[in-house]
Amino acid sequence: MLPLSLLNAAQNKPMLVELKNGETFNGHLVNCDNFMNITLREVYQTNTEGDRFWKLKECYIRGSTIKYLRVPDTLLDAVKEEQNRARDAGRGARGAFVSGNRGRGAPARGGRGGRGGPMRGGRGRGRGA
Amino acid sequence: MLIFSVFKTLTDQQVTVELKNDLSITGVLKSVDQFLNIRLDNIKVLDEARHPHMMAVKNCFIRGSVVRYVQLPSEHVDTQLLEDATRRESLAAVKR
Amino acid sequence: MSSLQGYVDRRVILILQDGRVIVGVMVGFDQKSNVVLSESKERVYSMDEGVEEIPLGLYLVKGDMIVLIGELDDAVDQAVDLGTIHAEPIPPIRY
Repeated sequence: MLPLSLLNAAQNKPMLVELKNGETFNGHLVNCDNFMNITLREVYQTNTEGDRFWKLKECYIRGSTIKYLRVPDTLLDAVKEEQNRARDAGRGARGAFVSGNRGRGAPARGGRGGRGGPMRGGRGRGRGA
Repeated sequence: MLIFSVFKTLTDQQVTVELKNDLSITGVLKSVDQFLNIRLDNIKVLDEARHPHMMAVKNCFIRGSVVRYVQLPSEHVDTQLLEDATRRESLAAVKR
Repeated sequence: MSSLQGYVDRRVILILQDGRVIVGVMVGFDQKSNVVLSESKERVYSMDEGVEEIPLGLYLVKGDMIVLIGELDDAVDQAVDLGTIHAEPIPPIRY
């Protein structure tokens, strides 16, 4: 399972984020991207020593400053189930739609094929004219 | 890239890796990648009495960015070849 | 990062740049060596007391924090009584 699939599935879930400088942030995940930049809402921030606290309505954390994220245990099974469903659906549609980490190779190949198709067609018409 | 190739020629040899947290680990080099991340088999930590943390670890992955030194088996490094290859590579870099 | 593939679904020990030691089951990783551990516990080492294990649950560790990932020999690991082990914590990375 890819770390980013887990993070994506953690939207609206509570989490603890520790930064490289030791500060921690407790809050619910609003959004994230592929750099692990995240926004949290209803945040409790503590300083490195753990003796001062702040409450923030919302905050943005740059992914490169994060040491680790702690997420609810239940997410693991949720993501696994979702991936199984996606894989079965992908099989049903003869691989037309695959998501999750098992499909990492598959959609790329599909995408390349798709892009290659019209391009070849285009070139053909060009020469004909 | 040259050092990556050197490491690849040393797979299955015994090496000692000193980390930037002062841990030294000896083991059989199993693989290396372009970041110089290293896989070691049959590992042993130097001064095990002081560092019992890895007692139950048989093989490990070491992040290239935290390696300070790698002690190589001198009999398996052709230094003449390495010198020549280094000159060739730096010459190629200048031409580019 | 093909070299982490062999560790998936295995019990592993993680050493971080700040010197922390975490054990858990590796459930996933990516090309930046970001790692997901389940059932993870931190092992806190000290000279005065035996090793303390603190449950952490499901953990996503950024690749740039990782020093070392080792595969645990479960038989050996379970045979050790952590309470009797006294050791200095692993020092943090210094550049």
